[in-house]
Amino acid sequence: MIEVIGLSKEFKSTKIKGAKTIRALDNISFKVQKGEIVGLLGENGAGKTTTLRMIATMLKPTGGTAVVNGYDIVKDQKKVRGEIGILFGGEVGLYDRLTARENIKYFSELNGMSYKETIDSIDYLVDMLDMKDYIDRRVGKFSRGMKQKVAIARSIVHNPSVMLFDEPTAGLDVTAARIVQDFIRKCKEDNKAIVFSSHSMSEVERICDRVIIIHKGRIIEEGTIEELKTKYNNENVEEIFMQLVGDNYGK
Amino acid sequence: MGSRVSWIVFKKELMDLFRDRKTLISSILVPIIIFPLLFFVMGNSMESMSKKVEENLKIAIKDNSQGSQLVNYIKEQKNINIVDSTNLDEDLKSGKILVAIEIPENFDEDIKNEKTVNLKMTYDNSSQSSQMAVDNLNLLLESYSKVIVEQRLIARNISGEFLNPIKVEMITTENEEEGYGKLMLSLMLPLLLIIYSIVGPMGAAVDLGAGEKERGTLEPLLTTQAGRLSLLWGKFFAITVMGLLSTLSSLTGLYLSTKQDNGLFHGGTGSLSVKTIVLIGVITLLLTMLFGALELAISIFARSFKEAQTYISPLMIIAFVPTYATYMMDAKNIESFYFHIPLANVSCIIKELISGIYNYAHLGITFGWIIVYILGSILFARYMFSREEVIFRT
Repeated sequence: MIEVIGLSKEFKSTKIKGAKTIRALDNISFKVQKGEIVGLLGENGAGKTTTLRMIATMLKPTGGTAVVNGYDIVKDQKKVRGEIGILFGGEVGLYDRLTARENIKYFSELNGMSYKETIDSIDYLVDMLDMKDYIDRRVGKFSRGMKQKVAIARSIVHNPSVMLFDEPTAGLDVTAARIVQDFIRKCKEDNKAIVFSSHSMSEVERICDRVIIIHKGRIIEEGTIEELKTKYNNENVEEIFMQLVGDNYGK
Repeated sequence: MGSRVSWIVFKKELMDLFRDRKTLISSILVPIIIFPLLFFVMGNSMESMSKKVEENLKIAIKDNSQGSQLVNYIKEQKNINIVDSTNLDEDLKSGKILVAIEIPENFDEDIKNEKTVNLKMTYDNSSQSSQMAVDNLNLLLESYSKVIVEQRLIARNISGEFLNPIKVEMITTENEEEGYGKLMLSLMLPLLLIIYSIVGPMGAAVDLGAGEKERGTLEPLLTTQAGRLSLLWGKFFAITVMGLLSTLSSLTGLYLSTKQDNGLFHGGTGSLSVKTIVLIGVITLLLTMLFGALELAISIFARSFKEAQTYISPLMIIAFVPTYATYMMDAKNIESFYFHIPLANVSCIIKELISGIYNYAHLGITFGWIIVYILGSILFARYMFSREEVIFRT
């Protein structure tokens, strides 16, 4: 499980004159239980990616902390990374000159898995994601959907208990997006704690158990979809989102 | 765990690089063939030019003494082609003739009367062929004067020995061909080794730093349990190996070019002792590490391949300054302060080693400095790898 406690992040400002720092994330706290999918919803620049990067220990928080399965993200970085799998949207980020198997193997080895564990894990994933036909071919010429499967396998090869998804369906066609969504549901079945960031309310509505809406680095709303619908007396979740964050739209 | 991770990264990066045809061609194949090709073409074209001039000396003679014996002597030479010319300057410039000789009036008579006669030779000093022709013609005139001198001596009953009171026999410290080879090596090797220490690791450094960013593989990599420093070491050693391979290829190319029959070196190779080769090898290794680390640091800072290449290429120009400044320096008289100037010290120490000088103070100073540079550049790369602004600078 994940427990985020008063997490804050300030970046040094290079572009805005006068301001010395930019507060990207301001004292946010939330929890994600095992087998739960929590949607992190917000506009571009709201702080979603920063939150996920800090949980994954790629960025150091300037305030607060988070605990992943009992490991602190500031003190036990390596252990935290061992518990976490992360899948990014946009560019899949594979090594084109390596085969699918070599790509996955590289990440499993870097996660400290033994030779046998690696072999077994890859065999399982090849089966699960139906990659038999191309597992030993170089990924350079793969279709987007095939690459997406390799990226998924890579993110989960070390069997993490926590999965982070950073706008994983951004820029994907319907088929590739479907592969990702199915995978997220599979993770839930496997009882993993899941954080899923998106700027699309409808996608979040379809997949997530609970939603956290971030705006300008702060949590402005939190709850299940049903709770939000009742609270704002509106069946259209997209409109609720606009109402909450879009106060300046068109003005 | 750390060294295991570095080893995994090292293996993967080398495999990745070796599968890249572009990298293989630019860092291994091209360095091997470039020198043999270059020297072959240069050597051949020089030789064919001098042959052309020697076989066909196109000259114009302006004979003011009407039918002097010198003209006959010149005409007797097989390789001389006498061309009629009305406008000497123009014909010289256009290359129609290579040299023009003007023979003064009463040439034969003055010679007979044992006067000194002035010949005028006009040539194009901006043309290599013309200068070669002058050299050839001078030799011819010299042998003609010798004949005249001999005749004069015989007329006075004096032996030819009279003119050569001292005979000098030249003995060189090095076998003559070897000396030439060593000179060439001491000029070229420092320059080449420094250039290749910069160029060799460049492709790999760009690929392993900025390339990871551009492909989007860096972020997933940082989410693994591997520590950043271990990643850095693995990449650093892979880059060093690629750099060394590139330098070795270029040296192989250089060696091959010295074996060419028609090449520039004409077989003039200096044989170096094992000690020298080992020391130069170690220096090259360290230099490659230095530039590899520096380039990796710059590369990880850059947002893309293109940006990395733009930032790294000035390194070459900066390195050229101290290297060229010492290019013509004679190995036997290098002052100590040169060994404190970055890269100039490397260039100087390689020159010394090639000439067989093992100055331990100079060696110590140079190696000391190189170690300092390497530590500095590794710390710089490490600093870059640890900075969030650098890693996520997109």
